[in-house]
Amino acid sequence: MNVTARNNRRRWIGIALVPILIASVLYGIGSGSVSISVSEIWRILFNDGDPAHEAIIWNLRLPRVLVGLLVGACLAASGALLQGVMRNPLADPGIIGVSAGGGLAAVVALVLFPQFGYLLPGFAFGGALLSALVIYLLAWDGGSSPTKIVLAGIAVNALLGGVMNGIMVLNSDRIQSVIPWLAGGLSGRSWPHLQFLLPYAIIGLTLAPFAAKASNLLALGDQSAQSLGQHVELQRFLIVALASLLAGAAVSVAGLVGFVGLIVPHAVRLLIGDDYRYLLPYSIVGGAALMVAADTAARSWFDPIELPAGVLLACLGAPFFLILLKRRRLVR
Amino acid sequence: MAEIRIEELGSKFEHFELQEISETIPRGQITAIVGRNGSGKSTLLRMLGRLARPEQGRIHYEDVPIGSYSRKEFAQLVSLLSQEKGHVPDITVRELVAYGRAPRQSSFRCRSTQEDERAIDWALATTGIRHNENRLFHTLSGGEQQKARIAMALAQESSVLLLDEPTTYLDLSHQLEIMEMLKSLNRKLNLTIVMVLHDLQQAAAYCDHLIAMEEGRVVASGPPRAIINRRFMLNVFGVIAKVDLRGEYPIIIPIPQPPKEESSMVIVTNVSQITKGSGMLLIERFNKVGKVEGMKGFLGLEVMLTENTKEYDEVTVSTRWESKEDFQAWTKSEAFRESHAHRQTPEYIISNKIVFYDVKVVRKPIEQVENSNAS
Repeated sequence: MNVTARNNRRRWIGIALVPILIASVLYGIGSGSVSISVSEIWRILFNDGDPAHEAIIWNLRLPRVLVGLLVGACLAASGALLQGVMRNPLADPGIIGVSAGGGLAAVVALVLFPQFGYLLPGFAFGGALLSALVIYLLAWDGGSSPTKIVLAGIAVNALLGGVMNGIMVLNSDRIQSVIPWLAGGLSGRSWPHLQFLLPYAIIGLTLAPFAAKASNLLALGDQSAQSLGQHVELQRFLIVALASLLAGAAVSVAGLVGFVGLIVPHAVRLLIGDDYRYLLPYSIVGGAALMVAADTAARSWFDPIELPAGVLLACLGAPFFLILLKRRRLVR
Repeated sequence: MAEIRIEELGSKFEHFELQEISETIPRGQITAIVGRNGSGKSTLLRMLGRLARPEQGRIHYEDVPIGSYSRKEFAQLVSLLSQEKGHVPDITVRELVAYGRAPRQSSFRCRSTQEDERAIDWALATTGIRHNENRLFHTLSGGEQQKARIAMALAQESSVLLLDEPTTYLDLSHQLEIMEMLKSLNRKLNLTIVMVLHDLQQAAAYCDHLIAMEEGRVVASGPPRAIINRRFMLNVFGVIAKVDLRGEYPIIIPIPQPPKEESSMVIVTNVSQITKGSGMLLIERFNKVGKVEGMKGFLGLEVMLTENTKEYDEVTVSTRWESKEDFQAWTKSEAFRESHAHRQTPEYIISNKIVFYDVKVVRKPIEQVENSNAS
């Protein structure tokens, strides 16, 4: 593959992402137990429409779609950043303990202190960031090394997972509320969740593209990046912190949605290469579109049963991912 | 005039120690750090490039302590090409060379200025890879990739270039091409180049100044002609070589030596004093014993008869074994017992003494050195 082909591919995929995003938003707003046509969506959003449909859109679907967009974007950006900074294509927000920490905090909140259930997002967010920090500190030894972070992450994840399972087994009568959260999804998410998520998502997604250059240089190796005048330790810390913020925010409102953080950046990487100036924005848009589409499909395909989006993502994402891996030579 | 001054540098590591290194690296020249594997060459280079911090001592660039430069200032003064083969994203050669501008850009800015573009063009032209600028880096051969990396370092527009084994893993023609390129960069730009080199002959041919290291110390430094000789080759590399100084630069011809062999054995001597004239009787008796040849660990047997002492003759039976256990196995064997069982000690034996010797055998071939006036 030569440079022209690469640039063309970048351009066309970039252009294609816009209609894909719009289509998935329209799909999210229009589909469900009541179908609403595109023209009606237009009328409701900008003029007046059927009051019943208006209520469905404004109270249920629009906030849920917006939450989905942000969750997908945050998870994908987080995964892309972590894959780069860990120099490990299999890194995802789980590797820095965000999922396990958020999960444990959520289980504690929902099972042990159900009276404070309304604090769940804040609780999960705190747990996610705390466990990421613990992993980073455990891996610190006069400097951080990606390998150590990954290994410390595995150990801490196992520990937190064990504690979480222990709490659930001991309180097996009260875990009904936790299971959907652990599976990850957007069921019942609305304006308050958006309100919680929005500030972190805006901060994180605004800062993410600024990490592109540092991520590219870090990929060359610590020594090379340092020889180019980069403050490797500081950059790595900031990027991990940014990734934790993004993933923690997403996990705190959507639960443990797996796979978006792993699969979206990886798929984008296989398609357009791993230059972070492109990889980051493409992953953000791709993650947003995928999350909304998956959530909508999960709630409308099996109507009246609503499947957690995380379940659908895993079932459809894994085979798709394997196909991409088989065709790995796309870029290289 | 010294560009880089190293004073009493020292640092302890897990398995080795850098000790008391005081050197000056001349400005505008090519300096090679040479020595065996593990002698501390790369560690010294890493300290010069501020990738590792020494525990003791100081390094000055232009009389300014190395620590007082900011990261970016230092990267504008010194480019370092490590051996690290990190993951180069699928970028073009030009995009890679543009990374070299990072020390002169803000950390977030991705677009390059006119000044950057000019420096990138210059680096590509100087390394002769303009024709490759739009090729993807990973599609290039190893030698071309190395040139692109050097171009990236040049784009930093620094006055010092540090390289860690720039020619390793390249074929000979690319090795020479890279060395020629570095030499012409040095001559044209007055660039100070310091590199770790494995190939001493290349160092001798292309460098103005050598620093030879052995077990964390500098054992010799100076121009190649002044320091490379037979003794140097033996001390620093443990190699016997002929050094020909008649040409433009020292030519080193290593003389391969057969490997030193070392083994150990046990020699058992059985010395019998025998009445005069009866020596042959005893030898005949030994000849009948036999079967010892087949024993495990048996290396050989000698029978010696001495007839020149006055009162008695002396017969020495000497057997050689790989180990004492092997000998003891022989004395316990069926064949041995059979040969000794039904016989009484003959009268002609006056006395008998058995001695064990643990022997270490070292076969060290005599040095094969051509005597030459040049060496």
